[in-house]
Amino acid sequence: MNSNITKKDLNKTMWRSCGCSFSWGYERQGNIAYAYAMIPILKKIYTQKDKMAESLKRHLEFYNVTNQCMTFNLGISAAMEEEASQNSEFDNSAINKTKVAVMGPISGIGDAFFWGTFKIIATAIGTTFALKGSILGPILFFLLYNIPAFAVRIGLMKAGYGFGAKFLAQVGSNGIMGQLLKAATILGLFVVGGMCASLVNLNIIYEISDGANSQTISDLLNQIMPCLSSLLVFALTYWGVIVKKVQPVMMIVIMTMVGIIGAFLGILG
Amino acid sequence: MIVTAIILGITAFALFVIEHAGGRNFVTQPIIVGFIVGLVMGDLKTGITVGATLELAFLGATSVGAVIPPDAMTGSLLGVAFVIYAGASAESALILALPIATLVLIFKNFYYGYIVSLFVRKADKYAEAGDYKGIERIHWMTGLGMALMIGVLVAVSFAAGSDAMSRLLNAIPGFVQTGLNVMVGLLPAIGFSMLARTMLNKSNVHIFLCGFALVAYSKLPILGVAIFGVVLALIIVQMEKEKTTVVAGGVDNEF
Repeated sequence: MNSNITKKDLNKTMWRSCGCSFSWGYERQGNIAYAYAMIPILKKIYTQKDKMAESLKRHLEFYNVTNQCMTFNLGISAAMEEEASQNSEFDNSAINKTKVAVMGPISGIGDAFFWGTFKIIATAIGTTFALKGSILGPILFFLLYNIPAFAVRIGLMKAGYGFGAKFLAQVGSNGIMGQLLKAATILGLFVVGGMCASLVNLNIIYEISDGANSQTISDLLNQIMPCLSSLLVFALTYWGVIVKKVQPVMMIVIMTMVGIIGAFLGILG
Repeated sequence: MIVTAIILGITAFALFVIEHAGGRNFVTQPIIVGFIVGLVMGDLKTGITVGATLELAFLGATSVGAVIPPDAMTGSLLGVAFVIYAGASAESALILALPIATLVLIFKNFYYGYIVSLFVRKADKYAEAGDYKGIERIHWMTGLGMALMIGVLVAVSFAAGSDAMSRLLNAIPGFVQTGLNVMVGLLPAIGFSMLARTMLNKSNVHIFLCGFALVAYSKLPILGVAIFGVVLALIIVQMEKEKTTVVAGGVDNEF
């Protein structure tokens, strides 16, 4: 593979990854930031407008990750986009499938490290000094957290690209790509299913009573299956947005109306 | 008062931009915010100690994944500022900080839910045209818009005083606040739908359900889900490979 992507391009993307949470939103989360960070790479490999458009659309899909770990995904995407630009037989959908498959695991590890370990250590040491009014408190807090954080960010950029390129070189020659795509789809779907259960929430607090005792509808649904209401919300949303092609903005308005009217009537909370 | 309010607003704006365009470097944590406000208002020692007190108070309120806690930055910024301005105790900073943090959270939720979605639509249009410069602009506008909103909220809150803030918070009907919280629980379903769109079909919907059920019943963290996902993917791919090897073996016999 003759590479057009230089170290400088990867560095630019690495710095841009610092904007991971800058343009964050509930609907597709870190998607704008992801596309923004990919641009130095895409500019280098896609000269045709339509190819650029196709790739930009790809990177505006839903994305969320532990901030400092974003570069690992970006590196893999960079290697895959490069392959896609040179190999017309490359299945472009693999780029996003890999992205989805990787973001879950690295967020799991990343959140544990950064929010769990590094932040707690920095806070413990920082507040000990700061409670006495020492300026060392905030300074130590900042350094203890950010030195490892930036080291990881920089290291993962290199690792992601190297991993992506090596990986592609190995699978490119034989039929492994198909199997890998299949595996990535399975892993991606599995993780999205899991995230639906943990991140989509609907609490129906309307109570039904049989005279002696009363319970909310959510309690009742949870007895059938925990998170059943989340599953129903996802199914309805999927049906609306994907099958019936309701505009996402419209869907947000519908959800707000449901929330406010539901809360007003005392059904949702 | 007004000048201080404006300076605090600019401080909030700058801190938000440095934090979120600078790789989530935690300059908006109360311990740093207290230090900066102390610096700006000329009482460094109070700033640092109150900041540390608030840091510990907000310790549980960290945003992991898609959950946004009450806004610790604005809460602690105004809490520290009122303490220095009025000479109150560090504990009273917390009483001031929480309602403000909650009020700002409502605004932030509105921004994250609606305004950002509008920007995303616009970004989609630019992507369609292959206009990467447009997407770069959207990225900056989205973040700067949020920073501006927070800066204005901080300046107005400080100028109005904390009494006015808690009155305003109380004036918003409870059901609207609850309703917005309900919406926040529903919104990720849109993103997941878009995500599942390219993968989900009738023949693999059970895989999605399998991941869902695993978390629903066990509350397994996402890393655990991913490990089981990898195992499941390996098993399925392995099984299919064996199937094709048998077929390939049959072909070999013909030579």
